[in-house]
Amino acid sequence: MAQAKPGGERQVLESMYSMIALVFILVACVELCDAATVVDVYRLIQYDISGAPFGSRLANLNHHAGSLHFAPGSDLSRTVLIIPLRELNISFVKEYITQNQPLGGLLFLLPQIFNIENRERAKSNHQTDGEELLKNDLAELEKLLIHSKIPYPVYFAFEDDDIEAVLADVKRNDATGQPATATTGGYKLVVSVPEPKKRASPTITNIQGWLSGLKTDGDANQLPTIAIVASYDTFGAAPALSVGSDSNGSGVVALLEIARLFSVLYSNPKTRGRYNLLFGLTSGGPYNYNGTHKWLRSFDQRQRESIDYAICLNSIGSWDNDLWIHVSKPPENAYIKQIFEGFSNVAEELGVKVGLKHKKINISNPRVAWEHEQFSRLRVTAATLSELSVAPELLESTGSLVDGRPLVNEAAIIKSVKLVAESLARHIYGHEGKNVQIFADNSSLAVNPSYIKSWLDLLSQTPRVAPFLSKNDPFILALKKELEDHTDEVNVQHEVLDGMFTFYDSTRASLNVYQVASVTFDLLLLLVLGSYLIVLFSFLVITTRGLDDLISLFRRPPSRKVKTA
Amino acid sequence: MTVFHFFNCAILTFGPHAVYYSATPLSEYDTLGTSVKAALVYLGTALVKLVCLATFLKVSDNESFDPYQEFLKALIGFIDVAGLYFALTQLTHRNISQNHKFQAVGLGWAFADSVLHRLAPLWVGARGLEFTWDYILQGLEANANLVLSISLAALGSLMWLRKNKPKTLIPIIYTCAGIVATMPSITSYLRRGLGWHFPEVVGFQLFTSLVMAFISWQLFAACQRPSA
Repeated sequence: MAQAKPGGERQVLESMYSMIALVFILVACVELCDAATVVDVYRLIQYDISGAPFGSRLANLNHHAGSLHFAPGSDLSRTVLIIPLRELNISFVKEYITQNQPLGGLLFLLPQIFNIENRERAKSNHQTDGEELLKNDLAELEKLLIHSKIPYPVYFAFEDDDIEAVLADVKRNDATGQPATATTGGYKLVVSVPEPKKRASPTITNIQGWLSGLKTDGDANQLPTIAIVASYDTFGAAPALSVGSDSNGSGVVALLEIARLFSVLYSNPKTRGRYNLLFGLTSGGPYNYNGTHKWLRSFDQRQRESIDYAICLNSIGSWDNDLWIHVSKPPENAYIKQIFEGFSNVAEELGVKVGLKHKKINISNPRVAWEHEQFSRLRVTAATLSELSVAPELLESTGSLVDGRPLVNEAAIIKSVKLVAESLARHIYGHEGKNVQIFADNSSLAVNPSYIKSWLDLLSQTPRVAPFLSKNDPFILALKKELEDHTDEVNVQHEVLDGMFTFYDSTRASLNVYQVASVTFDLLLLLVLGSYLIVLFSFLVITTRGLDDLISLFRRPPSRKVKTA
Repeated sequence: MTVFHFFNCAILTFGPHAVYYSATPLSEYDTLGTSVKAALVYLGTALVKLVCLATFLKVSDNESFDPYQEFLKALIGFIDVAGLYFALTQLTHRNISQNHKFQAVGLGWAFADSVLHRLAPLWVGARGLEFTWDYILQGLEANANLVLSISLAALGSLMWLRKNKPKTLIPIIYTCAGIVATMPSITSYLRRGLGWHFPEVVGFQLFTSLVMAFISWQLFAACQRPSA
């Protein structure tokens, strides 16, 4: 032991230097890394039309993160591209989707202004050009995603500091030109949800409220009925984000306010009109107004014939000066003329313009573009009041991601309510052509802006895609209760959505972001550790037993042979 | 891959103990029994420490550094020294030299500490998908702890077992033993009082453990010289 000491001391010093160097290298490498981040994500809708698949066909995600700055030509089949809407290159996405290029998944980051749970955003009503561009991009993206079949998971998330930090890291990594795969580490995005299942026979719920008119004793005939109808459900790229503030939240709000105004009038026998009022909140609007169809079918013939006319409210929350009345009977028709004149008279007084649009129905075409067409198909006079000048395509203008609270102007809804309520009242009380203001401002019958605002806020926070609303969803119960407050009799009708559409669940999930080390790193670490242990072993053997012992350790087998020999 | 990482961290945490045992003459003299006994003593000490901590310390809500509490903690930390004293002097060992005895005790002591404090977090954490440097650092900390335990055992055996040591060295031995024994409190102070991060603390621990090991080696050698 004493002999080995001088050599041992030198060894100690040398190994200490190397140890210290190792320590410093390790300390230099270490960055303080954050723990796993969890982000709320909303899945792109998955649905079939007559068996043809559309939308995102997968929900499970377990891939490395990549950004748009990936190295050209790299294999992205195991990479989730994180694309912020602000940097979206729509032609790139279009190319990838239409050419069926392999991708691990897509994660779109939407600016906070589109967040439905963000109550602050309602306050910032002014829109900048940048926002306008974002909205156009988003609308285009949504259209593309809804109408394509995408064989990998597509998710939406909202920008926040955590995910932004991850994205910045990913970009930095991509900028070095190495694709993020198992060999280089980086971030791993994991969404573990069960396989999306079909929604078995999705129900649609129609709610109707009756406000019966005054029947004098001598009247043998049934009173005529005026129907006011709005469809309340939505369809959008992300079902959990599809609130449709304008389409058709604005119509629902207007309908509730009109019901409230007429309930005040009808509560007094003196001002009770000689018309029944029928308020209908229908579901299935995006699917060719399937709910309206079912609802009308459930009436008996007499009831249906008693309907004088129906006014459908659709997207009336973001217009400035022009509204359109869409009809499917020729404008020369006496009823149509009467309705249109009633509306345009009031519109003139309100200082807005109302135009008439005629679109013929093609019975053989299953597409029903406007809600009134369902009435017209059953020979009930009906018109749709809307800010849209042309009929939307299937699944268009039904509550897209863009269609949130900031898009809607309360003043526009108030004007619409005035227009509809005033012209209806003049028709009911026979004041047509006269300049009487029944719902004048500051009177007891004035339109209530705070009522409109609160309902609009509620609708703008409630996703309402019909297949994902249960029969007793709190929102449906709230609508029912509100109509019960304003009308005499409320009926709720549950129907099954007709067969053409199939929907799949798992609309929202949690995305876990993990920072992972690569296999290469672990291999390297194993090598370093192995050599560390070997060095330690040799060092200890040399210091405690001497160098000869260490050498003899490796020579032992032959020496043993010599001994046995 | 993550099991791989766990494997790596486990090697780093427990490998040096095995290597130390097999590389030094400890394995030749079959001192495993001594190490096991020391580990058992460690378990008992840890239990006593736990009871003391629970009895005398307030549970602080925040992570701030309270000098009085830390002082108490350091005092309780000296229970370790008592445990080590018991392991070194009271346990009846087989006839092994002092040289090997303190090494065996220190090794068992450090191994029990590693198993008790690091195995469970490692098993739970290092197999997760998320990568952090924490478990590698924890492994390095285990290494530092091994060196410190053996140094402390060496100093302890100098204090309690060796009778004819040079007078001049006695104060140095006691100071060093004191420093090594208060090491947990010092690191805790660095972490909470000065707000050092884990990597820095581990670096400091590795550095001081090597320095202390070197000093205690020199002291041991110096004490051995007259007898040799």
